[in-house]
Amino acid sequence: MSDIEILRTIVTQFPFALIGSVFAGLLCGYLSVYVVSKRVVFVGATLTQVAVTGIAVAHLLFPHESTDVVSLALTLFAVVILAQLLRSHDISRDSVLGVSYVVAIALRILVIQKSPASEVSEIEAILKGDLLFITQHQLSLLIATAAVLLFIHLLFQKEFIFVSFDSETATTQGFKAGRWEMLFYATIGIAISVATRIVGDVFVFGFLVIPAVTATLLARKVRSIFWLSTLVGALPPIIGLYLAFKLDLPAGPTAVATASAMLAVSWIIKRFK
Amino acid sequence: MNSNDKLIEFRDVHLGYGRKNVLSRISFEIERSDFLGIVGPNGSGKTTLLRSILGILRPTAGEVRRAQNAVIGYVPQRDTIDPIMPFTVFDVVLMGRYGRLGLFRRPSILDFDKVQEALAHVNIEDLANRSFRDLSGGQKQRALIARALVTQPDILVLDEPTNGMDLASRSSTLELIKHLHKDDKLTVIMVSHLLSDVANYVNRIAIVEDRYFQVGRVGEILTDSNLSKLYGVPVTVGDFQGNKIVVAGGKNV
Repeated sequence: MSDIEILRTIVTQFPFALIGSVFAGLLCGYLSVYVVSKRVVFVGATLTQVAVTGIAVAHLLFPHESTDVVSLALTLFAVVILAQLLRSHDISRDSVLGVSYVVAIALRILVIQKSPASEVSEIEAILKGDLLFITQHQLSLLIATAAVLLFIHLLFQKEFIFVSFDSETATTQGFKAGRWEMLFYATIGIAISVATRIVGDVFVFGFLVIPAVTATLLARKVRSIFWLSTLVGALPPIIGLYLAFKLDLPAGPTAVATASAMLAVSWIIKRFK
Repeated sequence: MNSNDKLIEFRDVHLGYGRKNVLSRISFEIERSDFLGIVGPNGSGKTTLLRSILGILRPTAGEVRRAQNAVIGYVPQRDTIDPIMPFTVFDVVLMGRYGRLGLFRRPSILDFDKVQEALAHVNIEDLANRSFRDLSGGQKQRALIARALVTQPDILVLDEPTNGMDLASRSSTLELIKHLHKDDKLTVIMVSHLLSDVANYVNRIAIVEDRYFQVGRVGEILTDSNLSKLYGVPVTVGDFQGNKIVVAGGKNV
């Protein structure tokens, strides 16, 4: 198949995969600026595992309910617990993130072990990150989620930035830092829960880190970092889909590998500039 | 609190975290144009007291009263702020205006002007477009003081403002704080573990230690016996060309 034929096939036969993965990358790319700057990369890793566990739990315990709803509920529950633990000083931040990550993975394995074989294959498909079979319903849900979450972030940008930069001083100025942190983590949780169900955990976790790291290497202003990170989130899924077709690879991991290659190039540019 | 000169008043206050009590039966007041230094050994409860002054920590018993509408400009320890993002000095100082804006409103020309004024006031207007994370310790401290000033505070609260600075930066930072107190008539509260810094700039000192909390004029509080008892080692307080020097270990000054 020639390059043109590959592109035509993607656009005509898998438009939902193309648009969906771009929106997922764009949303995760924007949010990655906060995830990286707040040094909570493992929150992304943990919540993606929780989201997958939620899908598995839904299959196992609530076979007649929507997996989206159960996964979202479990992720938001994890967000509340994580946000509380991260703000308290009883356990170090590293330990909270490390323990919650490994607990989420262990739970996922245990739940999958007890799931019927037919459900396991669907969960494994999510873990594999095959973007090609995004449905119109999933695409609509993803676009609506991205629109609402980005609107919330733009509306409360100064609050999120101040609380992320210096939560103690923000508190002295009347900002309820705990509530803003909770809202922030809730938006991350919703994004992860919805996107993981559609594009897979590797894609979501990768795009919650790599775009912001790439943007901080190239941009000098915070505003430029937000723009560049969003762009870096949106671009690799397109290239990833093309390469996945050409080389017969799963599209999600290929998109992450493409984003990683962009990060490597950015680092080289920065190093030798 | 009525409209007299008291800005903050602690009445028989107990402070702690959960069941752990850190400070007991604290009573003192901070008046307008005061310059109070808060000193004490590591782990004595300075930060706990500071958090209570700022209103972040509620007392477990007793009462903390604040003058109505009194604005506190807070300058945290600069080492606690280690941004990955390249916020410019202007961005950082502008954050000081966010508390006045309320929800949904974005900074206006007035806010930008206030930021420029504050930068000029602490002599770093030329650093406005520099990245905060690339500044020296002294420059960062000035940027954080400027951020506190744009809140148009009644009280400036500084946490260890000279910690880890070289001699020149330390001196210039302390002179700036002295200027803000003396010429701008700002009420200042400064927490420091560097006794010499506090002794030579503040009007009053609070010694913080559970069961040994004292507040008074510098000369009354900073005595050999008081400090020896506080730190558990012989401490001598002396004078050199009008400046107080504090030496530990029983050495003569």
